Amino acid sequence: MAKPDEFKPDPPSENPKTEVDDENGDDVYEEEETEEHELDEEEDDEPEPQLRGRIPQSAVLMQQAKLQGLFQRLQTQSVPLRVHDVLIKGNTKTKDYLIESEAALFKNCTTMQQILEVSRAVNFRLQALEIFDSVKITLDSGPPELPGTSNVIVEVQEAKSPLSGEIGAYTKAEARSSTVEGTLKFKNIFGHGDLWDGSFAYGWDNLAELSAGVHFPRFRGASFPLDVRAFLLSQDWLQFSSFKERSMGLSVALLSSRNHDLVYNLGWRTLTDPSQLASRSVRMQLGHSLLSSLKYTFKVDRRNSPLRPVRGYAFAATSQIAGLAPDSRCSRFLRQEVDLRYAIPLGILNSALNLGISGGIVFPWGTGFKNLPSPLPDRFFLGGNSSPISSLGGPTTVWGYRTRGLGPTEPRRQLKSNGGDEDAADPGADFLGGDLAVTAFADLSLDFPLRWFRDRGIHGHIFASAGSLERLTQNAYKDFSLQKFVSSFRTSVGAGIVVPIQPFRLELNYYYMLKKFEHDRGKPRFGVTFSM
Amino acid sequence: MEESRDGDWTLVARKPYFGLPTACPVCLPVYIYLKFARCPFNLEINSAYPDSDQIPYVEGGTYVAYNNEKGGVIQQLKQDGVVDLDSEFSSLPEWVSMKAMMSSWLADAITYELWLGSGENSAKQIYYSDLPWVIGKVLFVKQVYDVKQRFNISKQNAEKKEEESERMAVIVSTIASANTMSKNKLFHPCRPTSLDADLVGHVLFTLKALPEDSVIRAALLEHGNLVRYAERHKNDFLTSGQSSASASNFQPPPSAAQARLMESLSGSKPKRKPKREKTEEEKSFQRKAKYFIGAQLVAVLLFLSLLGSSSKADLDEDDED
Repeated sequence: MAKPDEFKPDPPSENPKTEVDDENGDDVYEEEETEEHELDEEEDDEPEPQLRGRIPQSAVLMQQAKLQGLFQRLQTQSVPLRVHDVLIKGNTKTKDYLIESEAALFKNCTTMQQILEVSRAVNFRLQALEIFDSVKITLDSGPPELPGTSNVIVEVQEAKSPLSGEIGAYTKAEARSSTVEGTLKFKNIFGHGDLWDGSFAYGWDNLAELSAGVHFPRFRGASFPLDVRAFLLSQDWLQFSSFKERSMGLSVALLSSRNHDLVYNLGWRTLTDPSQLASRSVRMQLGHSLLSSLKYTFKVDRRNSPLRPVRGYAFAATSQIAGLAPDSRCSRFLRQEVDLRYAIPLGILNSALNLGISGGIVFPWGTGFKNLPSPLPDRFFLGGNSSPISSLGGPTTVWGYRTRGLGPTEPRRQLKSNGGDEDAADPGADFLGGDLAVTAFADLSLDFPLRWFRDRGIHGHIFASAGSLERLTQNAYKDFSLQKFVSSFRTSVGAGIVVPIQPFRLELNYYYMLKKFEHDRGKPRFGVTFSM
Repeated sequence: MEESRDGDWTLVARKPYFGLPTACPVCLPVYIYLKFARCPFNLEINSAYPDSDQIPYVEGGTYVAYNNEKGGVIQQLKQDGVVDLDSEFSSLPEWVSMKAMMSSWLADAITYELWLGSGENSAKQIYYSDLPWVIGKVLFVKQVYDVKQRFNISKQNAEKKEEESERMAVIVSTIASANTMSKNKLFHPCRPTSLDADLVGHVLFTLKALPEDSVIRAALLEHGNLVRYAERHKNDFLTSGQSSASASNFQPPPSAAQARLMESLSGSKPKRKPKREKTEEEKSFQRKAKYFIGAQLVAVLLFLSLLGSSSKADLDEDDED
């Protein structure tokens, strides 16, 4: 809990101070109370007698009046004030440049209000480095020969313990889905704000990942952070597509900001089939490949809430190019995903109509690309237990269909039974995914009449969704027609209850398939989706 | 019996190299076996999975015969009734012993030479040339380690194991050479068996893929009849191979294809070539050859028993040390 600044009835001096105190570890700015500042106006240069011991009541009343006058000025008009210098104290390990670069925003401030606002932002950013136990920003008057200036004093306390651990839910740029993750961190070993971590993650789609990485907030003075991770990833798709994927490699986040992400991945990927039941198309793809790719994501989310959007829009586009290596024998493909969400408030019972559409395409490139298949792990698969409302990760979900539950299939290997000439039980079919995928949904959400539900954010929704997959590679694009693609859309409808549990969105739904195909894994049922 | 969905069979094998349709010593006998069987099939190459024990495999529709099941692809094809060239001979002791020697001693000797001997460059060309350099390098090192583990090779016994391997190869070559002296085929004069496929495959691989300083290659070149025997069959199936390669257009109905295969290959109604009259000389020579094979078998058994006792003596000495 932030300790609010106390009003200090110090005797007025030639160097009045303004303090902004915050403690480490809490979301200070949401809980911070109104700060009180004491600042002598620069016009009042007349020295006042220093009082020791008891302060006369008249002096106290005078200072209170001045303070009220200052607050009124702050509220109604700009108080011009520039920052002359930023002084850093307390950093016994952390390099000066790191703190100076975070505090560089002060240089552009021209008013007192701006300085206060920037102080909050700088404090937050320094706290976010996770290498300080506390951060205190104080405003001091500038040199007497430069009126209208102030000095900013940034006082930090280095973290006592460099080791920390945490468990959380994340969605990384290089991951394909959200994960629950346990992490052990070593902080600031070299004084560059570096965070070294080892983590284990488990994702909803049978993903297990072991990784170690380092995060530099500003590597060698760059204005953006640098993340480097070594990972070992294993994903089991035996049940759906008769293969297991194992990847190991390096992931470098070259650019990471609110709207932009640029990640380079270099990985050795191996597909195996321990069951030896895979269909022909999957058998052809088993083996080793080298993935060297650059992935750029642009995301803007102007919705009021990703868990229950009532107004606003969101847009995301991800482009990936693989094959960026001098060795022509590595995996080469282009992949593009687009997501659009729009929430329209309807005004009654906090209801809103959410509309969304997602599309994606993947295609190989290089010599003979028309005859090559797209890599199996990079194709689009539809189905699963996540809600399309929250996620902006390309076409992934059609409500009601199980994981990888719709799209092109191929019969698996048929084994002979031990008994005789009769064949063994049907081994089923492999879901092969598609090179082109489109999904769309419409969701009407509304509050329940009871206040108990409204207070907890629990609301109901009615929805409809549709989606389809199509192959384009190996000359299949020649047979593609828009009419045929539209007629291959699966559709489902349903209704349910949404329980927001920060940061998750839990849905308890009933699904009904309006249109499905022979091998699709979806049927009328109750189900739960979990997304973040 | 599983039938191919569209009448086409496909052999998935390693890449062609050194003038061979597939340069892998495990895949080549399977290829030759299917050629001997006059079975129309397509050849597909898998270069992305060099460390897989499933390859080679034969597939047709939803049927797949993997190499790591039921004793190998050829054995599985026989058991499943797809292709069986050995139906008359598989119970004969001579056949069994020759098969065992071919699939163990000769195959092991070639494996040793390829991964641990002079065939290192050949191995890299065959298995890793289509993979990115880093992956190929790591997989090669891993494979060499696995082969050492399989043959139980250490620094102390590496030289001894190498000599042993070469000796095995020489023995098998001698036996095979004696058996092919008078006949076109290894075991049966009129039609090939899987033994012929194994021997032709191994001989061709040794001659074409292993370098000139290979000891096994040098030992094999001493048996001219073996070399001629293998080259003759190579020319045969290369010529017929062109017609098989274009057999991707050949799509007989599955039942008709299977019936033709079974009719031509089953032991119940063999279509034999008209027997020519054998001279007394040839009969006597065949009798002597059989005695020779018997003597060789006895020699081999003696050798094994002596080797076993000497290894035990070495172990005892090591324990005392």
